[in-house]
Amino acid sequence: MRESVTNFYFDYIQPLLKNRKSLIGLIILLIYILMATVGAAVVPLDMNSNFAERYQKPSLKHPFGTDYFGVDIFQQIVHGSRSVISLTMLASLLAVLIGAVVGVARGYLEGFVGKIIDTIIMVFLVIPSFPALLILAAIFMDKDLNLFQIALLVAIWLWAPLAKQISAQVLSIKNKEFIEASRILNMPLNYILFSDIIKLLIPYIFINFVMQIKGAMEFSVGLMFLGLAKFDPTHWGIMLNYALYQAGALYTAKGFHYVFFVVLNIVLLIYGGVLLSQGIEEIFNPRLRGNE
Amino acid sequence: MNYFISRLLYLLVVFIVAVSGIFVLVNNMPGDPAYGLAVSIAQQRNMPIDQALEIARNIMGIDPDESLLTRYVKFMANLLRGNLGYSAYYTTSVNDIISTSLPWTIFVISLATFFSFIVGIFLGAFAAQKRGTVIEWIISTLSSIIQAVPPFILAVLILFTFSVSLRVLPLGGAYPVDVKPSFSFKFISSIFLHALGPMLATAIPQIASWTLAMRGNTSQIMEEDFIRFAEIRGLRDTVIARKYVRNNAVLPLVASLAIGVGYMLGGHTLVESIFNYPGIGFYFSKAIAARDFGLLSGLFTLIVIGVIAATFIADFVYALIDPRVKLK
Repeated sequence: MRESVTNFYFDYIQPLLKNRKSLIGLIILLIYILMATVGAAVVPLDMNSNFAERYQKPSLKHPFGTDYFGVDIFQQIVHGSRSVISLTMLASLLAVLIGAVVGVARGYLEGFVGKIIDTIIMVFLVIPSFPALLILAAIFMDKDLNLFQIALLVAIWLWAPLAKQISAQVLSIKNKEFIEASRILNMPLNYILFSDIIKLLIPYIFINFVMQIKGAMEFSVGLMFLGLAKFDPTHWGIMLNYALYQAGALYTAKGFHYVFFVVLNIVLLIYGGVLLSQGIEEIFNPRLRGNE
Repeated sequence: MNYFISRLLYLLVVFIVAVSGIFVLVNNMPGDPAYGLAVSIAQQRNMPIDQALEIARNIMGIDPDESLLTRYVKFMANLLRGNLGYSAYYTTSVNDIISTSLPWTIFVISLATFFSFIVGIFLGAFAAQKRGTVIEWIISTLSSIIQAVPPFILAVLILFTFSVSLRVLPLGGAYPVDVKPSFSFKFISSIFLHALGPMLATAIPQIASWTLAMRGNTSQIMEEDFIRFAEIRGLRDTVIARKYVRNNAVLPLVASLAIGVGYMLGGHTLVESIFNYPGIGFYFSKAIAARDFGLLSGLFTLIVIGVIAATFIADFVYALIDPRVKLK
């Protein structure tokens, strides 16, 4: 057991800490995870409007200033990070799970059933995700969706490219010698599937989980920004919607910091995900390494 | 040739399944497309909403008792004749709306994509050649940061910076209302001025992704054995860079260029509605808001046709430019 833990450290964790991009990406993501867990427990949230303090500039009392209603922006960002991060992580996880299951199934099932799965994957590839997501969100708009349901709505439009890649991977693994050997040794099919193929796919799935973060963030923030899913008033997408359209913060010079800090946090969190996935790509493909 | 026929048939099946799925989704959206018109009729003529709703449905040609299946059969039959349906909100055929809006979308997308492809190829190759220098660090870091900005946020920022604060760009439309379309300098320059915002919002994220892709491809190819061999043969660096590295690095990107243009049709929805630019994405978001099921299904069908055509062209282009890919 101890050996497998240290192996895991040397195989997966250590390279991540050694590559500069993945290290910075990890640090950014960890800061936001800390914000969502510890921060949200420590920082109070007072959503009562206080017009006397409207559009205060950033100060010690209000690190990100206050919004149109005089509510502290930092508090909202901290509490919003909980739904932003849980929604993003859950949507990425679901997308990767669906993609992996469908992809492995396609890799294993040949013939007519395989062709049908191929067609399903292709259909999801040719339907443009964001417009489809908008319609799907409109269908469920009146129902109060929970976190899992919104994440699923997002994940439905993210899994297909991954499924296609994984099915290609499985098909190529299937024809390798060691699988052939397992077959000749008369090992049961399930054993071959779960031990050999899954083992090879784990790093692949891990990379893709990180890569999905960008898409899942963009989709969920976009959904909230358009006001198509009501979930949590401090979700950054909803904050951005308030800032731009309800409060019209960019029409007055005083409101600039309101939009700025919301956008900054959205971009920084996605940037963390982008850096981490670039770092992982470099680790697995050393030729890509640039300026270290 | 056989490969193309079977590929075409397969894509046709994919198209039918995709369009049917979209049709069911769209027609399951809550809300009554006649409601908006009914409210204004009820206010104008001072009558109860039920009565007004009936009149509105008559005007818009909506039969509430028609089953989903009948509507589906009608939709597919129309599609077969090249008729993408009828917009109840704009009370005109979807084909008419497309013929006025699609040119604007294609204008913006193609120009933005062409420009960003050229710039991205240049920047990516440049960064790869300057590996390990500050220049490479700046180019890749900037590209990564741009990649982290969701496109619709970029569009909003461009709109507020250039149209609201600085007032150098117009607030919406494809050309000013008081200018008549003609081949005058005034009209053509106003077209470019109005398209500039949407073009920037489309081009900037693309420049970043082409740059990163080109940098990655170039770095990989520079490590290949045949590059070493070319160096040993004593070829000049510029020849190696142009003929051996750049050509091989651009090749895979040309194929994704075709697919990219196809997907842009769908991805352009938010950009156009943020800039109020009258392309198909603008009408798409209007159709969602007005619950115009006919227009929605029609536009969605058009976008899917675009993506499928792009996929097919990409296959073809790839086979054409890369001798290693032989068509079965």
